[in-house]
Amino acid sequence: MAKRAQIIPPRPDLKRKAVNFSKGFDLKLTPEVLQKLETVVHKSQDKFTADIAERLTDMRRSIAQNAADASLHPYMIKALSDASREIKGAGGTIGFDLLTHIGKSLNDFLDGMSNLSARQLEVCTLHIDAMYVVLANRITGAGGAVEAELMRAFDEACAKFREVS
Amino acid sequence: MPEKIDFSKVSFLIVDTNPLSAQLVRDILGMLDVTAVRTATNIERAQNVLRRDGVDVVITEHALGDESGVDLIDWIRNAADSPDRMTPVIMLTANSAQNYVMTARDKGVSEFLAKPFTVEGLYRRLVSVIARPRSFVNIDDYFGPDRRRRQVPYDGPERRSSDG
Repeated sequence: MAKRAQIIPPRPDLKRKAVNFSKGFDLKLTPEVLQKLETVVHKSQDKFTADIAERLTDMRRSIAQNAADASLHPYMIKALSDASREIKGAGGTIGFDLLTHIGKSLNDFLDGMSNLSARQLEVCTLHIDAMYVVLANRITGAGGAVEAELMRAFDEACAKFREVS
Repeated sequence: MPEKIDFSKVSFLIVDTNPLSAQLVRDILGMLDVTAVRTATNIERAQNVLRRDGVDVVITEHALGDESGVDLIDWIRNAADSPDRMTPVIMLTANSAQNYVMTARDKGVSEFLAKPFTVEGLYRRLVSVIARPRSFVNIDDYFGPDRRRRQVPYDGPERRSSDG
């Protein structure tokens, strides 16, 4: 028989030492503070774009080194999956929403896979190439009609060629 | 007079394998006058920091190489050697699919924020864990913040001791 739940009131220590009425930041973010915080993110943009470019290079290298040998595919897929997840997480944070969309598309595509067919490898390569283009052309935001069409094409390709191997 | 948070009084532990991502969070916290920030790249190091120094708030990735931030939450909430089972934990992660969110919630995460994130989203979670902490619930297979965020009508039997 399930025991009754014990409700423990929130501990007051942290609130007591940090929350007050005179010093610090308003609970609701003011436009001025928001702007200052966004400056921090903006300043990190160059480092993040360099990091993403390096990850894309590593992804291409991983495919070049491992694609021909099926026994190495799990290792390659793990590398591609990890890198695409990082790009998905970083892209939108620094304003490159389209990178996030493409990274997520690739990450979802690879989910659960342990081997890739030639067609599936091609889908991966197309994702990587597209991310390079977005980065090289500094396409911030979600892009326009062309980018929307690109994402639709990726969705179709992923749906068509995604079969867990 | 409105309430304020003096972040300089709050210490943080950031657990992330990506140094850039950890640095960004550290820089944002720095802009909020936080001075006490520790970082760790795996669970063992995070545990060492928590055991040795203790921190007020943990911000962890879900994906920690071959490990998972959920295991860190599980250790904080349930391990016999956890230094503080009620430490607020914010999960900041690119693993944002529903199953990840549900698993983190059921292990006792305090707040969940998906990457890519906005500074506004992070700030809201910080305010939530510091100024608006939730009650904790201790029942058979769960110890963590109350998972009932919304008050919805419930017609079943009352099982909570506080419900009388």
